[in-house]
Amino acid sequence: MPQSTLPVVIVGAGTAGISAAAELAETGIHSIVIDEAPRIGGAVFRGPFREAIELPHLDNKLRKKISNIRQLYQDNQPHIQLMLETRVLGPSGDNALLVRHKDDVFEVPYEQLIIATGCHERSIPFDGWQLPGIMLLGGVQLQLKSGLVKPGQKIAIVGTGPLLPLVACQLHKAGVHVVGVYEAGKFSGFAKESRAFLNRPLLTLEGMGLLSYLKAHAIPIHYGWGIVSAKGQDSLNNITVAQYNEDWYPIQDTETDIEVDSLAVGYGFVSRNQLAQLMDIEHDICSFSGLKPQVNEWQMSNQANIYIAGDSVGILGGEGAMMEGRIAALAIAQEIKILSSTAVKKKASKYFNLLNKVKLFRAGFDRVGRRREGLLSLLKPDTLVCRCENVTRADIDKVINQGVKDITSLKMRTRVGMGDCQGKTCNSYCQDRLRQELDTLDVGYVKPRFPLDPIPFSALSEGV
Amino acid sequence: MPTLSEKKYDIVIAGGGVIGAACAYFLSKEKNLNIALVDLKKPGNASRASAGGLWAIGESVGLGCGVIFFKRISMQRAEAEGDDLPPLRPHILPDCFFEFALKSNNMYPALWQELKDKHDVDFKFEKTGLKYIMYDKYDKLYADSIVEQIPDLADQISWLSAEELAKDEPYINADAIGALEFKCDHQVNPYRLNEAYLEAARQNGVELFLQTEVTDIEKQGNRITGVNTSSGTLHCDMLINAAGSWAAELSKMACGVEIPVYPVKGQIILSEKLPKVLKGCISTTDCYIAQKDNGEVLIGSTTEEKGFDTTNTLPELKELANGAMRCLPILNDMNIKRCWSGLRPGTPDELPILGEMEGVEGYLNACGHFRTGILTSAITGKLINDLYRGLPLDLDITPFKHARFDEQNKKQA
Repeated sequence: MPQSTLPVVIVGAGTAGISAAAELAETGIHSIVIDEAPRIGGAVFRGPFREAIELPHLDNKLRKKISNIRQLYQDNQPHIQLMLETRVLGPSGDNALLVRHKDDVFEVPYEQLIIATGCHERSIPFDGWQLPGIMLLGGVQLQLKSGLVKPGQKIAIVGTGPLLPLVACQLHKAGVHVVGVYEAGKFSGFAKESRAFLNRPLLTLEGMGLLSYLKAHAIPIHYGWGIVSAKGQDSLNNITVAQYNEDWYPIQDTETDIEVDSLAVGYGFVSRNQLAQLMDIEHDICSFSGLKPQVNEWQMSNQANIYIAGDSVGILGGEGAMMEGRIAALAIAQEIKILSSTAVKKKASKYFNLLNKVKLFRAGFDRVGRRREGLLSLLKPDTLVCRCENVTRADIDKVINQGVKDITSLKMRTRVGMGDCQGKTCNSYCQDRLRQELDTLDVGYVKPRFPLDPIPFSALSEGV
Repeated sequence: MPTLSEKKYDIVIAGGGVIGAACAYFLSKEKNLNIALVDLKKPGNASRASAGGLWAIGESVGLGCGVIFFKRISMQRAEAEGDDLPPLRPHILPDCFFEFALKSNNMYPALWQELKDKHDVDFKFEKTGLKYIMYDKYDKLYADSIVEQIPDLADQISWLSAEELAKDEPYINADAIGALEFKCDHQVNPYRLNEAYLEAARQNGVELFLQTEVTDIEKQGNRITGVNTSSGTLHCDMLINAAGSWAAELSKMACGVEIPVYPVKGQIILSEKLPKVLKGCISTTDCYIAQKDNGEVLIGSTTEEKGFDTTNTLPELKELANGAMRCLPILNDMNIKRCWSGLRPGTPDELPILGEMEGVEGYLNACGHFRTGILTSAITGKLINDLYRGLPLDLDITPFKHARFDEQNKKQA
């Protein structure tokens, strides 16, 4: 059983976690970094799980970023204790986490904790969304980047945000026929945000590069369009897309059928902050990324020794995560008196600068891609919302008509969110739906339960 | 529709857990009263956390979570007095509680039918029995002394030999030497029961103020006149305190007196969904085990006085898990899906607090149901309705009135 007296524990070896560990290491502070995956880098920069001679679909920039984060870890490795393939189950007492590595369940004590647990994809249920061949966009990208498999032969991409054109290019380079990208945001909306995008001119240029690649290879982008439904016998054969109106309701006479064998759905991400919630950290309700843990400008939560950085505290992407991780690390360095407040301020100022630019840049996409209520209209009465517990839209309609006003009552009456996934899939729809019905942001939330992932009974056997 | 400030309710029920919901249902059956129910879901709500056992005899003789409660008390005493652990003796509740629990238990088959037929809600009543599993002669002694003390209930008891137990419950540890079964002890789905009462009450015209917090109580002299909530003021002639573990806070607001109700934490483990591995509900001296209607196996429960803390703690979970694995070895190969904690509304004598409060008009207690709120919700709802309407009561509630604490205090003085 790994035991350590290291003072700082970081949950998540993604961009935020590794950046925090590196910044700590640079000031001579040791840390333990815990991650569920077998490699560092997080979902975005984990890279292939197996070696391959050629990775034509991974562009040079991505390869460079993957190797950068590995290098960052290598350079600081003497100060970092990695615990890979280790899942955090929840808090244990006041200053420890309970974790599981293979069949061992044990405590990892901490003095200071950085939660950098990233995000997960927002699942948007629509008629047919469960057919084999339909995947969330990030999942498709992971299949390419880490699994080195093609999701299908002929694919359409629906959703909103900067990931759509990027994955379209990667799919095309991997030899998949991309029939089109259906971006729910209007082109005029993106045009209006050009000032926001200029906060990160290089990223914007990269984005333009992607768009011209798509143009050169005759892959169309349809702005203001989105998914309506999907059909197929045993797996996906056919999707219907349509132009969306202002509120993202499909405009009926624009509905178009397309034959595909796979579909990538990317209507955004949700902060993955179940651990923060389980640790009783104060949260704000945020219509964009679900619940948002409250942190101050140094990423410190309402509990003075717990910091939260990266997408788990609000979706900003890799660069923002890097800065937030480093800022949290500096705050800890000052807290344990390794660095003076002057030194910390000096080091942090460039991070704050970049972070602010990233926030302004990202806000542009958030405004154009803000979810509109039309997305809630894509379900038929028998469309499943919660697949752990087989709860349909009609089941939810029924209890809302009975006067249910909060997510807990919805859960008690229908069992949504009571399955193994603890509501990661259905919660977004249920929250949005209640908000729409009740015209209020506060509909309560499903408190995550310990353990965050199922554990074998045998892991709790006496003597373990 | 009148605005809130003009409307006046006959009754406002504070608390939408199983007790408040049962009161709302029974009071609304005749549909001739204006009733509002106010509820805010707080972490630790006991009805949601419950196992859903209708263990009328089991709980009265201290099985179910009672046995674990008693074990802990015995250990604490032994530790405090420095003695060796005294032999575990059954912790039997007074006769008035037996009557209360058994009368309530008898109501469920008809209530289940009634709610299904009239209101299309199903709280999953299952006839299971409750088996106390014995591993050794000490467990047998414990069972013997239970049986000795309840001669009137002999017809509800049966002894199972090791062979009979193995035949009836093939997944139970083959080392068990037999079981004592309480034939009338069954189970429901606890949150479905809670929601069934609420939905039936709503269909009967009760106005539900969900997601709504009680902030203060309005009074004129010693009479309750209204309830201030986060959704506005609800004027009323009668307030029913069904606030579970939060009942003391409410009685303080309403009556100026904190009734002795305090949270008693219970941790619970839930397995993933399994095929049917148990016919009946199970109690050992380590834990109780019940397989619920959807296949999940529920294991309870600790008894801890930790205020409103609802965290899960590893040593306690290990104790429960090991007790369950010993009894039901197949769990060794299964997963724990969830753990949680509930806050039972405990009282010093383990009896509920029902009825009026000395010197306060327009107020009734329906609280302090400790570990048996699901089981005794039906009789509580009926008693509160009969009390409100001045009807003859099914049983004497003197032992459950708040005044008993004053008398105890006087005696002690």
